[in-house]
Order: sequence, then structure tokens, then C-alpha cells
Amino acid sequence: MNSKYKPNIIAFLCNWCSYTGADLAGTARMKIPSSIKTIRVMCSGRIDALFVLKAFLKGADGVMMMGCHPGDCHYQKGNYNTRRRYVLLDNLFKTLGLEKKRIGLWWVSASEANRYAKVTNEYTEEIKKLGPNPTSEEIFL
Amino acid sequence: MSHQKKEETIIPEKGTVLSAEKGTKRVILDILKKALAENLFDAVLIPAQVPETEAYSWILLQDESLFEWADPLPPVMTVQGGRALSSFSKNGELEQNIAALLRPCEIRAAIELFKLKQVNLKNITLISLDCPGAMPLSNYMSDPQKTKKDFQHILEKWENSESLRPVCQVCQHFSFIDGTAADLHIGLLGDKNKNITLIPSSPKGKKLLDQLEFGTKDSVEKWKTEKQQLANEKIKRIDAFNREWKKKINQANGFFNEFNPCINCHNCMNVCPMCYCQQCYFDSQAINFKPEAYMQKAEQKGALRFPLNTMLFHIGRMSHMVLSCVSCGACEDACPVSIPVSQLFSMVSDQTQKEFKYTPGMNREDALPLQDFTEQEFCEVEVPDECHEKAPEEAK
Amino acid sequence: MAKAVKIKKKTEEGLHDFLKSLLDKEIIKGVFILKKMDKTGAVSYSLITDPEEFKKAVPLYPYMPVNAGKALANFTLLGKAEQPIAAILRPCEIRAFVELVKRTQGDFENFLIISLTCGGVLTLKTISEPDQDKLISQYWESVKKAEVFEHTREACQFCEHFLPLNADITVAAVGKKDLDEECLLFLNTPKGEKFAQEASGSSVSEEIETEKVQQLKKKREELKEKYVQQTETGETGMKSLVNVFAPCLGCHGCSHVCPICYCTLCEFDSKTLQYNADGLSSDLKRKGGLKVPSGNLLFHLGRMTHMAVSCISCGMCSDVCPVNIPVATVFSKAGKSLQKVFDYFPGKDAEEPVPGGTYKEEEFAEIGEQ
Repeated sequence: MNSKYKPNIIAFLCNWCSYTGADLAGTARMKIPSSIKTIRVMCSGRIDALFVLKAFLKGADGVMMMGCHPGDCHYQKGNYNTRRRYVLLDNLFKTLGLEKKRIGLWWVSASEANRYAKVTNEYTEEIKKLGPNPTSEEIFL
Repeated sequence: MSHQKKEETIIPEKGTVLSAEKGTKRVILDILKKALAENLFDAVLIPAQVPETEAYSWILLQDESLFEWADPLPPVMTVQGGRALSSFSKNGELEQNIAALLRPCEIRAAIELFKLKQVNLKNITLISLDCPGAMPLSNYMSDPQKTKKDFQHILEKWENSESLRPVCQVCQHFSFIDGTAADLHIGLLGDKNKNITLIPSSPKGKKLLDQLEFGTKDSVEKWKTEKQQLANEKIKRIDAFNREWKKKINQANGFFNEFNPCINCHNCMNVCPMCYCQQCYFDSQAINFKPEAYMQKAEQKGALRFPLNTMLFHIGRMSHMVLSCVSCGACEDACPVSIPVSQLFSMVSDQTQKEFKYTPGMNREDALPLQDFTEQEFCEVEVPDECHEKAPEEAK
Repeated sequence: MAKAVKIKKKTEEGLHDFLKSLLDKEIIKGVFILKKMDKTGAVSYSLITDPEEFKKAVPLYPYMPVNAGKALANFTLLGKAEQPIAAILRPCEIRAFVELVKRTQGDFENFLIISLTCGGVLTLKTISEPDQDKLISQYWESVKKAEVFEHTREACQFCEHFLPLNADITVAAVGKKDLDEECLLFLNTPKGEKFAQEASGSSVSEEIETEKVQQLKKKREELKEKYVQQTETGETGMKSLVNVFAPCLGCHGCSHVCPICYCTLCEFDSKTLQYNADGLSSDLKRKGGLKVPSGNLLFHLGRMTHMAVSCISCGMCSDVCPVNIPVATVFSKAGKSLQKVFDYFPGKDAEEPVPGGTYKEEEFAEIGEQ
């Protein structure tokens, strides 16, 4: 894959931690890759498995799920459900032989602007190595 | 819309006859390719074989390289074309100009769905073609190679074959639809396998032929004669077909017994082009009761079948869609327990549609029978004796 | 060793007579059981209340026209049964019912659950075959020998949970050579013991998990490996999934007959996933072509995220598929893997919560911190 390839990554961010963290990263003028397309949800628990699947099957090269660290959820326990949902998706991808790395879960708190910049940059690099998602060109889905 | 039947559209005398030396399918695909290249269309809806598999599906094709997989006349009908068209055109007018190549029963389903506002035909050009029928899906799935070969044989000879689906063998609308349904018809009959005939059936279709520089100078007489011959044969067969089924179901519980193996999977409804409701009444909670009520019902008859309401489902569904049934056979193909659903529905629809003097999907103007009435009609079901004596004015 | 009753009759006959006597004496008010519809092979589940009508019952007929767990939930959706009813279910059907009860779609109360050590069921397609009777007798011969019968459902051929859970009474069938001479009923619960007092047989003590049963279990586990590998999705992933599901008509029959898919309106039948003009344009522009109706894989994978963890591998989905997609094999494979991760056995215990509806704070602690 040539170095100019810019992946298309969808990031679902929870309103109270990850989105605020991303906002802080922006305010602090940290470098966030332009491959990341953020979608804000009120709680990471709102990230339906279908959101992730749909993004993946529509051709997103990577899908990031982000929320508050366990124990810090604004709604007490939403992110525990997110975690199970991610485990479910991860396991399905593994069983079906799909590219596991195309989906991921990261906890990013409101103050962790550094961490937000780090994981988005790292993930973009990782996806670059992986190349485009084959579903983006598959017609018979 | 009016209830009066529109004047019969006469089959045009002139069209284009093209040589089919390269093979019928090739020539059809070349026409579409040309139309796409000249930007007459942005995309084509056409059946295609899924690469690396024996499966067929519909594709909306824009990229010319995909023609490699396209097949204008696959041996089986997978998803009913009307349903495929509806799946992307029901939520409003499309930005693209799309040509849809469908079998006649699929065109008719599309027209019925258009009347029900489930298809938007604004930017769609409907192209029909002479249809030899389709093979039963289950046969194809269990032995694709043999079924393909059998179908190829049928396509060459245009003779009836027992291996076709029963409803296809007696299909009355296998060719040009006498109405305003399609825009262009591709005739494969007439000089079989040597020539194909393009017959415009709407101003849009005529314009298309002009744009493609085919014009409408050739006589279509040969195609018409052969089509008529085939139609005559099919009429004989449908009479026998209806007689046979009537005899079968006139026995005690005859009709019900046919549905005995039903397992309530609702596959027939889910593949039916006319059953477009998002939530079917028969899947809803409207027909749920408390256990005591079920016990009572069981005690009345000694036993109560589960799942419940199997017959209510079939007869209820029939009452919902039978006037629009185009006898495409999709229901029978999808039945996992081999109930002759489409044969039964086809036989019933034949009668009910006659009663309402309505043939579904023939033109875009006729109102759906249940959306329309005249005050004078059907008085024989109320007061049989006085019916014909009473003039409409006196009735007031 | 477990408590049992031995009746000196052909197994199916012994069970039939036992149930009829319960019905005659009005100890139970109805029997939920397979009944012959007519002379052809068609059967359906029926709630039989009349002893006369009960003559048409075929308790161990090797077909599953619908998953009876789903049918029982249909019966008890709006409330519990008020009177005692006996229900003859296969082990996977009990598991399905348990999963539905868990989801408040049914009620266990007042049911006497009778099951059997299950040799599997024949595919629905064989109902219309001319030599169906012969097939059924061959089936019973293979059950006696604890073999895997080739005309049974694929899901049955690799089912290792054919000893019922949550049954009050278990009929011995697999590996029982003298099926045609005696009927052996295992009494698993006090409730089962109470009702079995009406059976005209002698009390014995027998082993339920015989050597033959263990042999079959092993055989089926081996077959499972084989089938799962055949539905190969490991190496090439997406491409092979596309190919496996390529013939799909979108009839959603698999979801309709699935006992776990209980939603009245499925997300995939709803309007949320339909194309509008904008969406169509952008996808078409990007790909140069689209399969329509679209969303085929999204439906199957999405359904998998919804129900695979509770998949009880009954095989209904494969059996109703008009285009022979091995749905059950793929879903069963995904289900087994998920069940291992969440340490969950679907249909074992009605009190145990569904993995998607619960969590433990300390689990999967390393995830999300990388």
C-alpha cells in the first residue's frame, strides 16, 4: 500500500469522557489524524453492535469504540455493557475469520487528551499497514 | 384513475430486428452496454451470477466490467424483480436514470407496487423480455449444472417442459404486456436464436430506440406470429390446470389439506412482491391470547394446532394480495415443505381477478380494484333477482 | 444410577398409554405433542385435550415442524398455564423454551416436561419423499445402535447435548436395543415421580448415560469438527462469508423460525436499513455496482450479534432455508465460541441472565486499556 493511502476510520465517542478528551486534544492543538471521523453518542453503551457492523460492512477501514474507563461511567454502568458488546463482536470476527483489527475499544477519559492523540495515531498507522477494507469494494454483500 | 378499462394497447407493427448470431444474451447485454456508454442510463438493474458461486442475485450495475457477471435470463428467479426494484426506489425519486431488465411477471409486480407507492418509476425505464419460464429454485440449488443445461435446452427450443415451475408452464403473460407497463420489450421469439426483436411499448421506449440509432423500421410480424402460437398453447394448458386443481380442492377439506405441512415460517409472504407491509398483521401481537383462551379452543375441538392460525394466515394473506397476484411463483420456490402455494394462489387469483375484470400490472392507470368502485356494480350479490331490471337512475 | 420406571411395551406405545391415562384421569388437562395431520407425513404440534383425539398423537415422531419451545412460548406469552399440561419436547426445544422464559416470552409453570435422549430429527424435506416410512424405520434402527443417521439435520448430526436438561421425565431412546420391547422412563424430578405413579410399570434403577450414549456423544463431537471445517470461513474471511450467503433470498425464514428471534418486528424488516436516494447514489458511485436488495450480510451478521450467544443449535434455520445455506452450522459455530467466552450454557437455567443483559465489573479488565 502506498504511503499516501488515507484510511477511513469511524470513531464512536461517548459524550462525557472520550468526546471531551478529543475536544481537549483539539484545543491543545495536538495532532489528530484526519482519517478519524468522529460520531458522538451520549454513552458508549449506546454503541449498538449494529452501528459497528454497519460501518464495517459499508467499507470503513476501522471502527473505534471509545468510552469512560470502567467505574467512571456517567451513567454508572453503561461502559460495562459496551465492553461485553465489544467482546462479542471481537469473538464473532475471530470465529468468522474477519479482520479483527478493524474494530477496537479504547477507554479515554475527559482529561486524557494525550491518550486520545496517541491511540488515534497508533490505530491509523495500524490500519494503514492493514490496507483498505475489502468490503468497501465488495458488491455482493 | 377510472374503473373503465383503458383501450387495448395495440402491439406496434414496427420495431427493430437485430441479428443474434453472437448469442441472444450477448446481444442484449451489448445493447445495454451501448446505452450505458452513451449515458442514456446511469445504471442497469439486471440479474447476475455471484462470482465463484452458482448463486444469482440482482445487481444495480454502473461499472461496465460488471457485465461479465450479468445474465439477462438466468435459469431461476431468485428475488422477484419487482421486489428488488422496490428495495431501492420506494423511498423517493432516484437521482440516476436506471434501466431495469425484468421478466414480464416482475414488470407487472413492479407496476402493482408502483400503484401501491412502493416503487418510484420516475427515472426508471422498464424493459421486459420474452420469458421461457424459470426452473424450480430447489432443483437449481441441489443440482445447478443439470438445471442450467435443462434450461438452456428450453431456451433454445421454446417448447413447454415439465421441468419448468408449474405456474410458468401455464403463464399467460410471458411476453409483451398489452398495456403501458413496460417501456421496451425484447422479443426472443420469431426466428428463434437467429434474431431478436425490439418492440417499443411507450414513447419513452421509442425514443430510446431512436437514441440508440436502431429506429423502428423493421416489421415485427414474425415475432408476433410465434408469440401468438405459444400463447394459444398456454391457454389450453391453463384450462386443464385450473380444472385439475378445482377437482382436487373440491374434495372435503381439499384446500386446507394442501396447507397441512405448513410450518408457519412465512417465507411465502416474505418473498411475495405484493406483500410489502413492513409488519404483517399475521406477525403482530393482535392475534395473541391468554393460555385459558387457547385451552378453551382446544377443548372445543379436542385439539389445537400450534403454531396457531396457520390457515388464517394463508387465507388472510390471500384476501390481502390475491387481486394483485401476478403468479410469479416466488412463494412456491421459497416454501421449505413443498406446498404448491403459487399454484393455489394462482388458481384463486385467476378467478377473483376475472370477477373484478382486473389483470394486475398491465398498465399504470387502472385503479386497484379495492381502491375503486361504481355504485351500480355487483348488485347481484345483494338482490339477485332485481339486479338487471334496475337502472342506475331508478336506484336513487 | 437414576430412578426410572420400566413399562413392558414398545417405547412409543408405553409413553402414549402413560400420557393417555393421565389425560383420561384428568390428572393433566392437555398434552402438547406432535400429531399426524393426515395420511401424508405432515405433522404439527397440537395441544390435545380429548383422549379420543390423542390417538393421533405421535410423541416420538422424528420431525420438528417448528421448535416446540417457540410454540410453548406462543401459548404462554400472555400468562402462565392455569392447569397442568404435559409437553413432549426434544432437548433443544426445552433449551429454547428456557431461553424464552428468561426473556419473559413464556412461563414454565404447570408444565410436566417430558423429553428423550434424542437421536435427532429428519430434515423437513424428507416429509414429501415417497419412501418416508422406510426412512423412519431406518432412523429408529440407527437410534438403537446409537449411530448418526445421515438423513437427520446437520445440526442434529453434531449435537452433543442430546441428553435433556430441565425435563421431569426422560424417555430412554439412544442406544437402547430393546426399544421395541420396553419403555424406560427416567424420573428426574419429584414432579416426574409423582406423575409417573400413573404409569403401569415397575420401579427400577438405571444408568442414563450409558456407554452407548457416551459413544454417540464422541462421534458427534468429531462430526462437529468436520462440519465446521467444511463451512470454512477461517482463512479467507469476508470473501467466503459472501459466498456462503450469496444465494440468500432475504426471506428471513431463518429468523422467523428461530426460537431465540422472538421480536415482533425485527430490525432487519424495519425501515431503518432501507436505501434512500442519497445513500444509493453515494454507494453506487463508490462501488460501481450494488447487489439489491442490499444488506444481506448485515442481516446475517447482525442477527448473529443478537442471538448467537443463545443459539441452542436446533437447526430449524437450515431446515427452512429455500436455498440450502448451512445457516445452522455457521451460527452454531459462532454461538459455541461466544458461549465459551461468556461461560454461558444456553437453556440450562432459567435464572441465569443472558450475557448481553449483564456484566461483571472485574471481567475483561485488560480490554480498552491498551
